[in-house]
Amino acid sequence: MANKNEETASFVLRLSQKIFETEEGEPQIEWRGNIRHVQSGDETRFSNFEDAQDFVQNKLTSMTMKAVEDKPESEQKGILSKSFDFWKKMATATPKLVMDSIKDPKKQAAHFQEQIQEQFHQISDLVGQKIEDTIGPNTSKSEIIEKLDHLTHQMDMIQKKLDSLSPPAKSKK
Amino acid sequence: MSTAIDDILQRRENAALVILTLGNFEVFVNGEKVPAKEWKRDKSVQLLQFMLMARNRKAMHKEQIMDRLWEDEMDDQGFKVALHGINKALEPKRKSHTDPTYIERIGHTYRLTTENIWIDSVAFEALISLANKNIHDNSTLAIRAYQEAMLLHKGQFLPDRIFEDWSSDERERLQLMFLNASISLAELLLSRNPAESIQICQEALLVDVAWEDAYRIQMAAFFSRGNRPMAIKTYKVCEKVLWEEMALKPLPETRKLYEEIVRSE
Repeated sequence: MANKNEETASFVLRLSQKIFETEEGEPQIEWRGNIRHVQSGDETRFSNFEDAQDFVQNKLTSMTMKAVEDKPESEQKGILSKSFDFWKKMATATPKLVMDSIKDPKKQAAHFQEQIQEQFHQISDLVGQKIEDTIGPNTSKSEIIEKLDHLTHQMDMIQKKLDSLSPPAKSKK
Repeated sequence: MSTAIDDILQRRENAALVILTLGNFEVFVNGEKVPAKEWKRDKSVQLLQFMLMARNRKAMHKEQIMDRLWEDEMDDQGFKVALHGINKALEPKRKSHTDPTYIERIGHTYRLTTENIWIDSVAFEALISLANKNIHDNSTLAIRAYQEAMLLHKGQFLPDRIFEDWSSDERERLQLMFLNASISLAELLLSRNPAESIQICQEALLVDVAWEDAYRIQMAAFFSRGNRPMAIKTYKVCEKVLWEEMALKPLPETRKLYEEIVRSE
């Protein structure tokens, strides 16, 4: 049985808003964020929420990998696959969240918290279920990586759609 | 009004139990520091730290405390031992079957009493609150209150617990309070004492290297002291940090100040 401390990841998220006028006199808002993974002390800053999501995803994936390292390879793949499903759902939920926030900024924080909690409950349920090897017993690690790449591509597509809805912002590279 | 500041600070002299949480964790009973070995178990220290953090809430049920602190890794007996450790360290001469002075127990709920205790983070918050209330109408008082608060802030909240979930929200809350107070104080001191203003900004940047307000005030302070090269250098550092950390440019307000400084040659 996994150590209880290794089953939980906590994140402290700080968001600061900067409202200003551009040189052309256009009103503008900029969000500056900082997210810290409590258990490791690692943190990152971001101006694009996707970077915060990547940070959380990396930490949770590492945690899952560590938790299943003693399990048979096929079982590991099943769990990881379900973990990736969580992020796929997150990616589809994000645009709705953003649009809802634009319509009603006051509900932004509440919406966001609800979405995150819902998604976290889903992953808990998924991992708790009987493990199904959805990838197949002979799937290689490179195929898993390919699946990840595919998800990343989907995320990029969603981001492009989002960018087309709002003024262009620089993304951290 | 400065008696309000003195009142907050003097309560320390009158309190039997003094707890320091900012930058270090230390406990003093009647002026004597409780030596580390007196705690026996780290769980006792954790329990006291948790109780002082939750002091303003209603008393908490034992199960709530255990769940928040240790999830299901602690049983009733363990809780009892940890609690005994606190009472023993704080009141080694207390007679058995007498109620502890500092930990109140009502049924299965517990809390740290608010009487006769002085906690640095509580005083820090009270001073900042006092300064914020007076920032427009009594800047002299606000400056002193901020300065006293800064002196209390010797580092982050419970640094020995930075990897533990239960202390994170309080640490974040106090850190943000420190950053905002630093900026308010640095702004108030800009014309009166630019050197101190610079120092405060530098301390804020040690806490958060991307806190842009601290760069901007520092630039203005250097410039007002006639140190144009340092003002320009500060802007360059700000620009570099913001780009590296968040892929952002400085705000128009900061850029405008920079341009004014550059043009002033």
